Amino acid sequence: MGTSARQLPAEVTLVSDFRSVRLPEELCQQAEHWLKGRFDSLEALITFALQEIVNDDACKLDEQEEEMVQQRLRDLGYI
Amino acid sequence: MQRRSLVLVTVDCLRADRLAFEGYSRPLMPFLNKLAADSVVFSHAVVAGAPTYFSFPAIMASRFPLGLGREVLGIAPGEPTIATALREAGYESAAFVAGNPYLTSRFGYDQGFEHFSDFLDAGPPTATNVNVPVNGRFARLNHWLERLSSYTKLTAATYDEMYFRYCQWRSSREYLSLDQLRRYPAADVVVDAACAWLKERVDQPFFLWIHLMDPHHPYYPPEEALQSLGISHIDSRRARFLNSFWNRGDVSAARLQRYKREVMALYDAGVHWVDQQLLRLVDFLKVHQLWVDTVFVVTGDHGEEFLEHGNRYHSPIALTEQLIHVPLLIRGLTPTRVVPGPFSLIHLAPTLLESLGVNVPSSFKGRALWKDFSQGKQVDLPSIVECVESCNNQLSVSDRKGNRLMAVLEGDYKLVLRFREENDHLYDLKNDPEEMYPLPHSAQAKDRARLLQYARQHLRHTREDRDGMLELRSRFREIHQRFGLKSAPVEASEDRKIAEIGEHG
Repeated sequence: MGTSARQLPAEVTLVSDFRSVRLPEELCQQAEHWLKGRFDSLEALITFALQEIVNDDACKLDEQEEEMVQQRLRDLGYI
Repeated sequence: MQRRSLVLVTVDCLRADRLAFEGYSRPLMPFLNKLAADSVVFSHAVVAGAPTYFSFPAIMASRFPLGLGREVLGIAPGEPTIATALREAGYESAAFVAGNPYLTSRFGYDQGFEHFSDFLDAGPPTATNVNVPVNGRFARLNHWLERLSSYTKLTAATYDEMYFRYCQWRSSREYLSLDQLRRYPAADVVVDAACAWLKERVDQPFFLWIHLMDPHHPYYPPEEALQSLGISHIDSRRARFLNSFWNRGDVSAARLQRYKREVMALYDAGVHWVDQQLLRLVDFLKVHQLWVDTVFVVTGDHGEEFLEHGNRYHSPIALTEQLIHVPLLIRGLTPTRVVPGPFSLIHLAPTLLESLGVNVPSSFKGRALWKDFSQGKQVDLPSIVECVESCNNQLSVSDRKGNRLMAVLEGDYKLVLRFREENDHLYDLKNDPEEMYPLPHSAQAKDRARLLQYARQHLRHTREDRDGMLELRSRFREIHQRFGLKSAPVEASEDRKIAEIGEHG
């Protein structure tokens, strides 16, 4: 992993709506130093991190599993 | 008043039934059996998850394995554990982990320890893979035979068997001792390191965690352990053959059965070696005047299957009693007694902290039950066991995003919920301890519903009480590791170890 720098995903480059956020300059410089060879840009790093966070398939599974148990209880006539 | 010290011994793959007080006929653990008379013994201790990577969050942090979501590996950065709680209370602390790649600093298990040895840099294994020629006349002949044999099932099976035997013959030309074949340090090495640390420490209470791997496959116990059990017919060549055969994915359970007794003898010898080394550790504590003021705990992180339900090793494809029922004894607390009924290891850390007079972190999901036990109260809490079904390598993102497999135990009943197949099976462990006959869906409706309610509550709490900050920190740690912030040699040694001991923890 990490042998080639990660670029902004294609679906992001096609997006027309962007938001500007204010980040501490020093933190950005530290992050830019870290991302060398790993990410093409600070935008690519932040986009990747946010996608990782919001992409919570596992949480959906938790909900589906809870629903399955509820259905089972309904079938048994307990709720 | 000086606080008591704590020694926590966890043994990988240790089945509860290997102790005599659990009914095993072969005298594998005479020392622990003797110690049990002087201990609080939990006759039905169950892990909170299996295998190792689903079990240890509960043992160390009293947190259910999926409590921070399926994306979180190990202990989250900054997550309170029994080690951090004891460290804050002024304990000296050290951990000696016999080379399990899932119990490393990469996964946060060093948190709270001043000294942490994971034995991952113990050097590459000397065992070599069989190099079968891939070019030349032999290779052409081999490919021709393979094609020819594939016309019928019988000839294909015959070819597979002959090819396996040929590979065994080639590999056995190089003699390797059991010590050379072993993939992790044996218990004597780990106990030696722990004793060396104990000698150096200054005079204050300590917390020592030792994790032993001897019963873990591949099963290469020390020769001394085999001799001690009177197993003379299995030498290193035979052990190599047995491990190779047992690891085959292309043979039926019926054929594996032929070698089951011998494979189990190897496993048993590993368990026996653990017992002998624990005796040595306790002798050391006695000689150094540390035994009286030490609470000594022995348990397992999960069991091991030997085809009882068609499975081998400890893959999370079923939550059978062979896999989730582990020994648990606590010596050094009074009154000694046998605690009946299911007891989840989720309660172990808070119970131990309470017994030592140390504050229990609020993040712990288990209950501190020491006062109840010491007052002789009957404690019968439902026990939840969970894992991601078929997640044989937690490092694989696709593996860990599978469906939950869950068991709920209370009293004599055990409900197994298989979410992938959307079914549940209820077992009466009193009348069917081998879990061979799930009760009909119409039977025991009230008991089934009660256990389902526990499952529902657990799922709801998991979703609603999730500590988002710990989850986030943990996921960022993984991103850091994926993009190479951590030093490569450490990760390489962990990945190599995962390949050596096989996946599934």
